[in-house]
Amino acid sequence: MAQISFENVSKTYPGGKAAALVNFNLNIKDGEFIVLVGPSGCGKTTALRMIAGLEDISGGTLRINDTVANEQAPRDRDIAMVFQSYALYPHLTVAENIAFGLKVRGIKTDVIAKKVRETADLLELTEFLDRKPARLSGGQRQRVAMGRALVRSPNAFLMDEPLSNLDARLRGQMRAEISRLQRMTAVTTVYVTHDQVEAMTMGDRVAVMNKGTIQQLDTPRRLYDKPANMFVASFIGSPPINFMEAAVVSHDGGPAVSCGDFLLPLGISGARLSPRIGGKVILGIRPEHLKVAPQSRSTGVLSAETSFVEDLGATLLLHMSGHGIAIGHANMVEDERDLMKTAPKLKALIDSSHRISRGDAIALTVDPSLVLFFDPETGVTL
Amino acid sequence: MARVSTRRVVFERVTILLITILFLLPVFWLISTAYKPSNQIFSAPPRLTFEPTFDQFRQAFAIFDVVSLVRSSLVISIGTTVLSLLLGVPAGYALARSKSRFAPGFAYFFLAIRMIPAIAALIPFYLLMRDIGLLGTWWAVIVFNTMLNCAFVTWMMFSYFKALPPDMEEAALTDGCTQMGAFLKVAVPTVRSGMIACALFCMMFSWNDFLHPMFLTTLDAKPISVALLTAYGTKDITWGTLGALAHFSTIPIVLMALFMNRYFVQGATNGVQ
Ligand SMILES: Nc1ncnc2c1ncn2[C@@H]1O[C@H](COP(=O)(O)OP(=O)(O)OP(=O)(O)O)[C@@H](O)[C@H]1O
Ligand SMILES: [Mg+2]
Repeated sequence: MAQISFENVSKTYPGGKAAALVNFNLNIKDGEFIVLVGPSGCGKTTALRMIAGLEDISGGTLRINDTVANEQAPRDRDIAMVFQSYALYPHLTVAENIAFGLKVRGIKTDVIAKKVRETADLLELTEFLDRKPARLSGGQRQRVAMGRALVRSPNAFLMDEPLSNLDARLRGQMRAEISRLQRMTAVTTVYVTHDQVEAMTMGDRVAVMNKGTIQQLDTPRRLYDKPANMFVASFIGSPPINFMEAAVVSHDGGPAVSCGDFLLPLGISGARLSPRIGGKVILGIRPEHLKVAPQSRSTGVLSAETSFVEDLGATLLLHMSGHGIAIGHANMVEDERDLMKTAPKLKALIDSSHRISRGDAIALTVDPSLVLFFDPETGVTL
Repeated sequence: MARVSTRRVVFERVTILLITILFLLPVFWLISTAYKPSNQIFSAPPRLTFEPTFDQFRQAFAIFDVVSLVRSSLVISIGTTVLSLLLGVPAGYALARSKSRFAPGFAYFFLAIRMIPAIAALIPFYLLMRDIGLLGTWWAVIVFNTMLNCAFVTWMMFSYFKALPPDMEEAALTDGCTQMGAFLKVAVPTVRSGMIACALFCMMFSWNDFLHPMFLTTLDAKPISVALLTAYGTKDITWGTLGALAHFSTIPIVLMALFMNRYFVQGATNGVQ
């Protein structure tokens, strides 16, 4: 069992232009399931490999169970890692792969045999114990990699995108399976992914990273409800949140936001915007919070034209353009290209009982208490 | 699988057979002379039928100390192979895993060593061996051939290790291995096919090598390649005797190649993905 803490850790690769990690701070509690999530190249793998002792630390302190671990050899940390490539030993059978770590540590043969059998049972690998990894399917290899980590009862599990090579169904299955195993063993786990569904469903806490720093460390619920900034808001949630630039105006004595011909009175939820009346703000509206309204041109209704409809079965994903509404105001966001790509159109996720097709005019409403507001200069949540 | 037409298969087989015959004809001729009586070896046109005789073998054993020759050849080639791998495999690994940007350049430098004409190094090496008292022994040839082969093995193994993702060794490190343990228990077994290819290469090079042992060995350390080629042209040694002797210079290396080839194929199909 282990606590792991990063204190102002930084990493610059030799020859690398930008730092891979900058002032990285993270406290992982004993038995916790932490997910590191973020776009490609944000330093997730780097942080994970530092815990394993596979990557040098350029600056700062890494502590495992209160001892400074910066210079500790991997084998003295007793941490198990599941690699994205699985990194199974190709010349050994499944049983030997699982037994490897125990054998290296000089554990008695009969104890090893027993543990291997138990682990294989747990992961339903018993019938493959004599096979070489080359003759296993992707899912089976993944389970062997898990087994190799589990069998050792290590201080901590590190997993680097362990499910990214699996098909969608298997991924869903293994997601639940890994969560279950972690609860069962209560071993501290650090899980790296760029899949926000995995992040939301598996982590006790999730660290959203961008460009080598943690943007927000919180429970999945709070990341969704109260993102710290536009980057987190856009990264968590699928389909991604809509951003629009709006003016803060006074309406019936209270604050309201206005964007094109969409005027949304905020009521009590807008009290914090009162000082900003006359200024600008970025709205964040999640596609699933937009509801279809009876066609009318009243306040609080957003009218738009559907340019594209994706039928997802239970729901419809509408891509729309609003009248005079600028979507995805990119210059406030950390990673501009990402947002321009993901939110060029206004998106709404609505019940599939609505009959809507391309070109239809549509009216939408949103509960003002669900709307997020961001500072246009800094991108920070208001 | 698409069905290949019978005619094409026949055509391919016949072509392969013809080419094989073309290559093996000189060997066959040499081997067959060993079973012919001396007076029939040069008969023109060549006679395809003859009464097989073991006279030539008797002659070969009378003139040459065949056992000692074969033993020398074996000691020299196995010694060279073992030493070359022992030095070259770790060296190649170290270069492949080195973070220095000079490492690949270094590896190519080793390849360049293999490219220099061996004869240029032979004279200084001769003097060196004389001074340290190894001249005339197996060791002189083993060290010289190791010098050449080990450079090549280093470069070959550098490429093999470079192609191997370091994940598996890193997994071994987290599994509790030392750096050395990860190398011996994971990296080495994974590149086994590459090592066997290197071993075959070293073995054949040393077995067939004539020039270096010719210079560096004396009578009692002489390998069979030297005996075979120096005997040529001597008055009382016939082609038939040479044919008989050639048996002992070809059969061991062919057996060795067949034996290692089995592991080679096994090793090559062993890798994951
Ligand atoms: N060995 C290396 N040498 C130089 N730069 C590197 C090296 N490894 C990673 N980097 C750089 O460090 C940064 C962080 O890389 P890292 O592998 O941690 O990203 P990641 O978050 O795991 O991305 P992904 O989701 O694509 O796996 C990247 O900009 C990458 O280019
Ligand atoms: Mg990564």
